[in-house]
Formats: sequence, structure tokens, C-alpha cells
Amino acid sequence: MTRKQPEDTKLLVLPGDLVDQLKDISSRKGLSLSSYAIDTFEEAIRADSMSTDLRNTVDAYHIREVHRDAGGMVIPRSILSQLMRCTEDSGERFKDLWGETGRWYGQYLKRRLSGSDLLAFLRSDLPVSWNLDECEIVNGGEVKVRFVRFDMSEEFTDLLLIYLKELMGSLGYVEVERDSVRGMATVKYLKLGNSHS
Amino acid sequence: MSKRKMLAAEEDLANRVAKLAEKRGLTIYQTVNDMLEQALRAEEQGLTLKEAVDRGDRMDRARDMGLTFTVEHLYYQVVESAFSKDKQRLKDLWRDMGFWYGKYFLGKGNEPFKTLSDALTFLTLGSQFHVDQGKNSQLVISCINEKYTKGYTEVFAVFIEAAFKVLGYKTVENETDRGIIQIKLEKE
Repeated sequence: MTRKQPEDTKLLVLPGDLVDQLKDISSRKGLSLSSYAIDTFEEAIRADSMSTDLRNTVDAYHIREVHRDAGGMVIPRSILSQLMRCTEDSGERFKDLWGETGRWYGQYLKRRLSGSDLLAFLRSDLPVSWNLDECEIVNGGEVKVRFVRFDMSEEFTDLLLIYLKELMGSLGYVEVERDSVRGMATVKYLKLGNSHS
Repeated sequence: MSKRKMLAAEEDLANRVAKLAEKRGLTIYQTVNDMLEQALRAEEQGLTLKEAVDRGDRMDRARDMGLTFTVEHLYYQVVESAFSKDKQRLKDLWRDMGFWYGKYFLGKGNEPFKTLSDALTFLTLGSQFHVDQGKNSQLVISCINEKYTKGYTEVFAVFIEAAFKVLGYKTVENETDRGIIQIKLEKE
């Protein structure tokens, strides 16, 4: 794919189907196509030096943008569980609150990411927004969501399940099976219309 | 009709691209294709790759600082609920947390003040947050966010004071009202 050229250069092949789009963008920026491509390679190498890649970087940016617009914020990692201990008798109110928040977020995602694969987005989003250690979403007729967070209390696990139930409900899924213990759960959902009555 | 284009790149850069391709088990062509596709995806979101990589780096640093995301709406509600039950307990909790973070940044590197200020910048994303040099070497910390509840404003101010105290700053003035924090500090 590379050919040795004089004066310490090598030739790289740019994909033909992207060339027109890249030309448009680079010319809008007042750059040549070559300069634009070279800047891109340099950023890819920089991302690699940070133990990531451009795809993950752009995905992560997208998630942060969606969060920010939905009212996400950054907090010290330990604080939510400590706060929950200060509000032990607020269980019912919090259940309503988490449910309402999940429902709202589902509606928001439907509008904000209309036409996108929302389950794929959630696969990347949930670990970030709920600080999960593991998160798996498998879509094979029914949708299986499995999450693990080692330091999550039983109460918080229940709240997250309520949040997920309402979120998935907003996306048109109904919960059909749940297996949960403290900090870990596997839940199955069916698309409404496909569920057994 | 495909319009493949050849690009002359400096040998060093081309070699690094080739090395990346090898690391990922892809051809150079696939790697170049993927990189440029991501550049286009970034442009579709209205940013350059440089900005995306810079912001990714910032978020990695936030994670290294022990910070995480949450839903703002839920967080304020939970804080407010706890605050209304036991104001003093919650202030103690935030004081302890501020003290812990102050110690953490003090021990983490050579620039604890800068690192703490960076952490506060993350914690106040979406707010107007400033650390300014005041008169007589005073520091003036201000944070304005109309969404802050009364309880959250109070406990967050306690957090800031406690963290800076560990770095040797004492509070000389604290004007806190719902959604507005202004704290003047000076070196002890």
C-alpha cells in the first residue's frame, strides 16, 4: 500500500469514496486535501498515544454532547452512594424520580438521535452515565441488558432498574424478565407489539 | 467511478500510520479509511478531530481525578432531599469530601492548586466558574448556576472551602446564595 518516494516521502492511498467529501471540508477550512489528511493522521497517532483511537474518541464526544444537552454533570464518584445513605427513607419518592428521569431520557433520545441505533448508543452510554463496570446489550429478537457495578448498593440497583424499565418503555420495549442482586442485573425486554399478551 | 487519490506523506508519518495499522491487525488502506471516516464523523458533529481528542483527554483526566457523570436533575434532588433532612450531616459530608480531594491533589503532583482548580472546572461544567486573583494576594472563587438548589449551593461552597484549606487557604469572606457562590480566600 505504500511506495517509497524520493525525498523521504511515501505515498498513501486515500479512499476514493471519501475524497469528494474530504475535499469539500478541507476547502471550507482553507486547507489542501493533503494537509487535512495529514492532520487527521497526526490526531489518530495522538489518540493512540492516549491509549484510545479516533472512533472511540468521536463516540465518547457524541455521548458527552447528548449527556450535556440532557442535563448531565460531573460529580465525585463516591458521592451518590453516600447521599443515598442520608436519604434512606425517601425510597418511594426516589423510585418515582428515577422512573420519571428514565422515561424522559428515553423520549429525549428518540428525538435527539432519531434514525440512529438507540440500543447501540445505550451500550456506550450506560457505562458512562451510571459508572458501570460492565454493561452488555444484546439485541436478538428480545433485548437483553446486563450490567454490573461492584460498589452499587441494593437500593441503587433497584433505582437503576426502574430507570431502565422506564427508559426502555419510552423506546417501545416492555420488561419481560429480570434477575437482579446487589450491583448486578440481567433484564430482558420485548419490543411492544412483539410481546406476548 | 472510484477516485482514489495518492497522498505523499513524510516517511516518518507514513511509517507511524503503518505501525498503527499493524498494531490493529488492519491494512494501511483500512486504517487510513477509518481515520478519515472518523474525521468526517467529527465534522458532522461540528468539531475537529483535534478538539475531540483534546476533550477526550480532559475527560480521561476527570476520571483520573475520581470524577464521574450523573444526571444533574437527579443529583440536585437527592442532595436537596438529604439537605432538608439533616443540614449539618450533609455539610460534614461535603467538608470531608473537600478535605479528601484537597489531600488527594496535594499528594498527586507538583501543582496541587492548578489540579484542584482543574477539578473544580469539571465539577462546575455548565456553570460560570472562575478563580481570580483578588487584592492582597487574595483568591476570589465564584460560581454561578441558576440550576443549583439552595442546599446544593451551600454544600458545594463547603466543599470548595475545605479543599482549599488543605492547600493552605483560609476563608475570609463567603457570600453564598442559591445558585451563587463567592468565596474570598487568603494564604494562611
